[in-house]
Parts: sequence; structure tokens; C-alpha cells
Amino acid sequence: MTPRRWNWHLWAGFVLCLIALASYFFVFARFPVTRDVPWANFLLFGTGIAFLFVGVKHAFREPQQYRGKIAGPILSLLSLLAVGFFCFLIFYQTRQLPASAGAPRIGQRAPEFVLPDTNNQPVSLSSLLSTPLANSQASPKGVLLVFYRGYW
Amino acid sequence: MSRDLCQKAGYTYTFLSDPKAEVIRQYDLLHPGAGVNGQDIARPAEFLLDSSGVIRWVNLTEDFRVRARPEQIIEEAKALK
Repeated sequence: MTPRRWNWHLWAGFVLCLIALASYFFVFARFPVTRDVPWANFLLFGTGIAFLFVGVKHAFREPQQYRGKIAGPILSLLSLLAVGFFCFLIFYQTRQLPASAGAPRIGQRAPEFVLPDTNNQPVSLSSLLSTPLANSQASPKGVLLVFYRGYW
Repeated sequence: MSRDLCQKAGYTYTFLSDPKAEVIRQYDLLHPGAGVNGQDIARPAEFLLDSSGVIRWVNLTEDFRVRARPEQIIEEAKALK
């Protein structure tokens, strides 16, 4: 009896799904074009699932030729968990934000504040609006206030 | 720490620190307990003010992965004249 072949489809599919999950955080999240809608990761997941499907089919339809009756379902389940986890993060977790109904709106004056800069000097919003920039005499035309998520 | 980050990255804009989240609360942007170790942090937000301090554009993203692109903000800023 010929030795059974290694069911590489199963493993390729599984590894692709792992890459699909990890690569979002390490690679694709850095670029808005692949971060906002993670199509690259969906493609990787889709390809991985397709390989797994082929591999499971081989293992059960041609068990004399291919191994993987146990590995197949296990790897498929793990991969589906990876897909599920990714979708949970992308479609639910990152939308869990407070309503911020009290945030200042268009047309309102932004509340004044004073906070320390990186040299521990106090900086007020009114000074940001009135102090000319280094290479001009005129007051600034505006201020962009960016609140960053995070802590450091 | 911010100073090192600014120097390394070459940022020329003003970086302010709000360790007690006072201004964050004033602007109703507090996201309690959402920090890595359970600290209170801000939810992401951008406000474009004109020269008299009136808000002309706000971006309160619904999904913290999706932020305003720089080009978008520059377009809004140009409209301020």
C-alpha cells in the first residue's frame, strides 16, 4: 500500500489563517487603506479557509491517499475561531466607544484649557489661537485639536 | 516620554499632556477603563477650530480603527481660509 501523502492543504490553510489574523496588527493596520476595511485580511482568511476545505475533502473522500482525518477538523475549528475572533475585534470591539454627547459641537466655541507641553510649560488654547507660528507675523488661521486614544 | 517621542519622530506640532484627564472630561471624551491596564483614556476625536476658537469641524469616529485621513483634514482646514 502506498504511503499516504501529507495533507499540505490543511496546514497551508491553517497557517494562512494565522497569518491573516496576525498580519492585521503587525502590517495592515499601519495603512489606512488596509486598516479601515481589512480587505487584505479577509482575502487571506478566505484563501486559508479554501485550502482547509480542500484538505478536509481530501482527508475524508480519499483517506487512502491523504492523511488528516483528525488534524483536518481540529485545524479547521482553530481557523474558524481565528476568523471569529478577528471579526469580533473588527466589527464589535473597536466600536465600543462612549457616546460623548457632551462634546463641543460645530458652531460652539471650544472650551478654554491650560495643559503642560513636553517641556512642562503651560500652554493655553487661547495662546495657541493667538501666537503666530515661527515663520510668520499673523495669528494662526485655526487650531486642530487631536485627542489621542491611549496612555503613555 | 512624549518629548523623546517628539524628538525621535521629528514632530513640530505642540504635544500637550492631560494626565488627570481634566480636559478630556471637559470635552466629554472620557473612555473609562479602556486603557491597557484599565486606565481611563480618551476616545479619539479631532476638532478643527477657526482663528476665533469656534469649532468648524468635528470628527468623533464611531470605530477607533477608522480615523480621519490627513488629506481630509487639510481640505477642511483650507475651507477655513
